[in-house]
Amino acid sequence: MGKEEASTKKRRKINSSSSTEVGKQGPADLYKRVVEFEEIESQLRPAEKDAALFRKICHDVRQIFSDISELKSKDTDEAKEKINSKRVEASLLLVTLKKLNRLEKVRTRAGREALHKEKQQVDSTHLLLQNLLYEADHLNKEVTKCLQFKSKDEEIELVPLEDFYKDAPEEISRPEVTKTDEHQLQLARLEWELQQRRDLAGACSELVASKERVAAAIAAARSRLDALAPHLRDVLKATKPLQECLAMRLDEKRDESRAASLLPPPLFLLFANSSAYSDALGEEIVTLSISGDEDEARRLEQQSSVENELIVSNDSDSDQDNNDEDQREKKKRHHRTSKISKEEKAEAKKKEVFRKHPLNVQVSVKVQDGTALNLIFSYLLHLKIITVKFTVSLPKPVTGVSAADVLNGSCILNELYPADSGNDSPHPATAYLLKVAGITEDFQHFISEVGRPYIWAQRMCGLDFMATVFDNQKNNKTFQPCPTLSVTTVEHFILTLRKRMKSRVDLMKELQDLECGKILPLKGIYGSIRLSGSLTQWQSVGWPEYSQSPSTTFLISEGLVSQNDMLYRAIITRQSAKLVALVALKSDYPKKSPIFSLTLHWNGTHHSGINDDIRDIERVINTDWCVESSKQPLLTIQMTKLLTYMDILLETSGSLEFPPDKVMFSPVRGRNRIKPYKFIKQGTGIFVQF
Amino acid sequence: MLDKILYNTVLCQTYSPCGKYLIAGNIYGQLAVFDLDRILNPVVELLTPDFNKPKHIHNLETGNQICSLVATDKFLVVGSVNVIYGWDWKAILGVKLSKPSWQIKISSKSSLEHIDVNSLCLSDDGEKLYAGCGDNNTYIFNLEDRRQLSVLSGHDDYIHSVHGKNDQIISCGEDGIVLLWDLRSTKFHNKIEPHKNSKVCRPDIGKWVGSAALRDDWIVCGGGPRLALWHIRSLDVATIFDLPDHGIHVSYFHDDCVIAGGASKHLYQLSYSGEIRVELPVSATTVYSAVLKTNPNVLAIAGSSPEIDLCTSFNYRDQILHFR
Repeated sequence: MGKEEASTKKRRKINSSSSTEVGKQGPADLYKRVVEFEEIESQLRPAEKDAALFRKICHDVRQIFSDISELKSKDTDEAKEKINSKRVEASLLLVTLKKLNRLEKVRTRAGREALHKEKQQVDSTHLLLQNLLYEADHLNKEVTKCLQFKSKDEEIELVPLEDFYKDAPEEISRPEVTKTDEHQLQLARLEWELQQRRDLAGACSELVASKERVAAAIAAARSRLDALAPHLRDVLKATKPLQECLAMRLDEKRDESRAASLLPPPLFLLFANSSAYSDALGEEIVTLSISGDEDEARRLEQQSSVENELIVSNDSDSDQDNNDEDQREKKKRHHRTSKISKEEKAEAKKKEVFRKHPLNVQVSVKVQDGTALNLIFSYLLHLKIITVKFTVSLPKPVTGVSAADVLNGSCILNELYPADSGNDSPHPATAYLLKVAGITEDFQHFISEVGRPYIWAQRMCGLDFMATVFDNQKNNKTFQPCPTLSVTTVEHFILTLRKRMKSRVDLMKELQDLECGKILPLKGIYGSIRLSGSLTQWQSVGWPEYSQSPSTTFLISEGLVSQNDMLYRAIITRQSAKLVALVALKSDYPKKSPIFSLTLHWNGTHHSGINDDIRDIERVINTDWCVESSKQPLLTIQMTKLLTYMDILLETSGSLEFPPDKVMFSPVRGRNRIKPYKFIKQGTGIFVQF
Repeated sequence: MLDKILYNTVLCQTYSPCGKYLIAGNIYGQLAVFDLDRILNPVVELLTPDFNKPKHIHNLETGNQICSLVATDKFLVVGSVNVIYGWDWKAILGVKLSKPSWQIKISSKSSLEHIDVNSLCLSDDGEKLYAGCGDNNTYIFNLEDRRQLSVLSGHDDYIHSVHGKNDQIISCGEDGIVLLWDLRSTKFHNKIEPHKNSKVCRPDIGKWVGSAALRDDWIVCGGGPRLALWHIRSLDVATIFDLPDHGIHVSYFHDDCVIAGGASKHLYQLSYSGEIRVELPVSATTVYSAVLKTNPNVLAIAGSSPEIDLCTSFNYRDQILHFR
């Protein structure tokens, strides 16, 4: 305690001395010094000791206060004195407290400043660390980038290692180094590659140069040849008078063959083969010519050759283009609202589909009496089929209506070969092509415009669609006509056609006679029979009428007569009896005989369905009871027979109207009471049943 | 030329004794053998489209028409032209027709004359064969040794049909006469001429009588004249059947009715009193043969058509066979 007091005294002294100093030197300066002093003091004095001192002083003050209050309660003078001293003591203590407080404040501030300083230092260090980390990261990235780097030389295809060692000279390959050093090896190989490429490029340019030289030589030769052409023409012109003089048809032939060279391949085949036949058989049987626009054909050929080149260069693309075009056009059509333009478009499209090659081949086949059939063969470019149109030229006009029909219209070529009606295109792709072109009608609809696509016509031109693979577009494109097929078919066709025409001309004559009601008298066995009935009518009838007759039901149901046949009605009368015969002629008459269907009007109506006698006559006529000589016209034979049988039927009926006139063994025989329809030559001739 | 088979006419039919086969003969000299078992009781799995076609078609060497057929236990007797053949059943049912077991020639006076054996009939005991022929005669043969027993002549034209019952024989012909014969003599003892009866005659069709049959006291006959039932003793018409036909070719008794057909669209079953019991539509223009067989019941109707109608109930046509 005493020590403490001493120290406080000391301090006070200092204080007082300092205060004197301040008073001397001026207040501001003093203050500064005090502050400095206190700051130093606060550093020198340990804080814990001050804290203990502070607590002790506080305790003392409290003690003094309690003493004072005790003294005050005594309220004596002594006490008062004591109080005073106590008071002084307490005030001193308070001063000490203040001092301590101040010291503490200074100390706190110093601590705070020190902390702040430390903090700043830590921050700067941290920043430095971050910088370093970032730098390290960047360097790492650079390293990986370097590792991933790809050199240009890796893309170059190099000669395999073995070949390289084998082919490359020693100074490039340097095996002693490269075998161990990968990098050197790569460099050596690259060098070898470079050298080789240089050599090849040199060779290439050399070749190009030689090619150009050759091309120039060719061009020169060509120009020389071109120059030759006018000279040749002049020579030809000069020989013309001589040709005329010697009646040589060289020029015509030349024109023809020039035109022929422009024909599409199928027609060319036809032309070549037919002209061979025309030469062999003579002009009077087969003649042929080429007609059409030659210039147009030439243009078409040039165009197609250009197209061909295109096709060769990019085959699949052209198809694509076509399709695209189509679609584009379709879209366009959608956009167009005016109806007229749409129709025009469709019309144009139709025209394009059915476009013919500008040249066509005309073949004219003649028979003896001068009747000629002119066939015009055209090639449809888009559908790739041959169509035929034809005209018949007659030496003299045909009088009969039904007779003229035989040589006219489509029926002369009808079913020249079995089941070849020429009604539909034989090309399997036609239907598809029409559909693509937006044409909804069948091909049949256009036959009147383009002609009939008979199968024999295709075959004559070497086109055989049966052989092509179905729906193989590529195949069709490169489809080549077959020459051997054309050769055999042309020969067969000309012979068949001539036969058909001959038989048709004969038939025409027969019909002409029949239409006049005339039945030519026959030579041979039937010639001697007197016929009492007469042909009063012969005319052609339509299918509806034919099929409606009850007598034909059986024939139609058996499929013996069809709509393609030529149908006629003959009416034979004898007194009150009238026999109506419906005759069906097959188109290949006389190979197949006419089929008769009879109805007798006498004492009611009789036909083969209800009357056995009529059925017997039909049997004899249609199934040819006795073998006939084929020299005489079949239809006339049958008509004569029909008249004979009608007489026999009527005469055997026992009616007084028809007195027996023919010689017969017995009018009826057998349980079926058959009439004697067989004629045998015995005496004047006699009719028997079998 | 059309195939002549389209104009086929079947003149006669018969059944084999076993009842399994139907034999038909046509004017082209062809014999068709139909397998009735296969046709009437078809096995569905084995059914082929040509099941209604003949099993075999045999061609006669001469090609002459087959006019009549009759079946005995051993033989198929075929009446053709100038000759009657007898074939063993085995030969007929085989694939290829061998030579006939026997034949009876009917000699004609001239080479031009052909004698059709229009009608064949067996006696009740099956020993004798009656043959009505185209030379106006009816011949009686012993089937055992094929000896001719007698000749019945009396017709003026060829005979259409012969039918025998008990010891009586009835024949009719183109001359319009129906004759009744007794086996014990060669003379006819009774004669009917339908065309002279004003109620049955049809002059526009003719006087010929196509068919006649006997039973007890009754005769049924028709042809050009109307189909009629005659009483034997009085030789008078008992019933006239009013049919829309153009000539009768088939008429016989069956049970208590008369079966008749001919140039008509139908085959008729008639009662004695003249009522039509069944009217059976037929394929043929003219019916020349309608044979029936009982147990099981089959009625086969053929004529001028390549088709043969088959009825198992006699009431409707239930199958059509094709002879082609």
